[in-house]
Amino acid sequence: MTLSGYEALFFWIFALAAIFAGLLTVMARNAVHSALFLISSLVSVAALFVLSRAEFIAGVQILVYVGGVMVLFLFVIMLVNVSAEERGREEIFNNQRQVMAGLIFCLILVGAVLYSVNRGYAGLQALHPMTPEVQEAQQAARDQANDTSATGSSKITKNVEGVAGSLYRYASLPFEIASVLLLVAIIGSVMLARTLRQEASADDVDPEVLKEEIARDPELAKLEPQIEIVTE
Amino acid sequence: MFNFFSPTLLLLFQEVERTRQQQMLYSAAHPDLSKFLVIGALLFIIGVAGVLTRRNIIVIFMSIELILNAANLNFIAFSRYLYETGSVNALAGQIFTVFVIVVAAAEAAIGLGIVIALYRNKETIWVDEIDLLKW
Repeated sequence: MTLSGYEALFFWIFALAAIFAGLLTVMARNAVHSALFLISSLVSVAALFVLSRAEFIAGVQILVYVGGVMVLFLFVIMLVNVSAEERGREEIFNNQRQVMAGLIFCLILVGAVLYSVNRGYAGLQALHPMTPEVQEAQQAARDQANDTSATGSSKITKNVEGVAGSLYRYASLPFEIASVLLLVAIIGSVMLARTLRQEASADDVDPEVLKEEIARDPELAKLEPQIEIVTE
Repeated sequence: MFNFFSPTLLLLFQEVERTRQQQMLYSAAHPDLSKFLVIGALLFIIGVAGVLTRRNIIVIFMSIELILNAANLNFIAFSRYLYETGSVNALAGQIFTVFVIVVAAAEAAIGLGIVIALYRNKETIWVDEIDLLKW
């Protein structure tokens, strides 16, 4: 795969944007700023997906990550109090020795990954020797073969068709398992985020713990009769 | 018209004996699979650095999302590469990316549920103060 012309220009713009936004995600003091930088990093990566002709995945990325997961993150940031961090009283990084060890590990990782990418890519190129010009011509031919849109100004890709065919032909069982996983995640997060009051009214607390908590907060005892009515 | 990397320029590049600098310019004007892999690797390492150094558990979760996203970028780049070399099921990489996104969404929901429960009980989101399992 080789990009050229405007695609190359946009590749560099979005690649640098993704990396800078990623760095700022890690380094921002305010968690809300972190979330917003992560959103811009994810959108840049979605643009890189479009450049690699994966339009469907780019759409899914923006809908699911930016529209769903990041909104969830922002809600949780809103629910937990992070004002001490914003005012600069709290240190945002671990203590210095742990940070040093982490960064040294990351540097070693950078060296190892870049070395292995270079070595491996040289091997790949030897396996499929193709000059950029040839690849460009092949890509142009493939783009020409696509259907023209109704307005006649652009071409329609077959990416979604291909992904759907591949998903249901080769990965239909994992697809079903993924839906079960999402169901488990929904139920799990609802169970995890309940308050003690909600747990007590569903009769889902350890009796020992409930006794201690009633000693602290007599209001909780009033919740118990409700359950007996329910269970009767 | 603004034409940044014009074909005539590239032809010139081919005719002139390429110096090292010209080669670099040429490969920058033609980003290939290795460039995608390097970008993915850098995003991954930024995510790892975030997980290792930050104290805020929510930012650690965001770094994990960054790591998963870097993996997705690699999947997509290899999918395109295999498509061009004529592999039979080259779209498998994109299918895998869909599953990674599903698992990331599930992980974020569960993880943030744990964060909420933890904040109710311990009143903190700093990971170095959450040491219930440490002895």
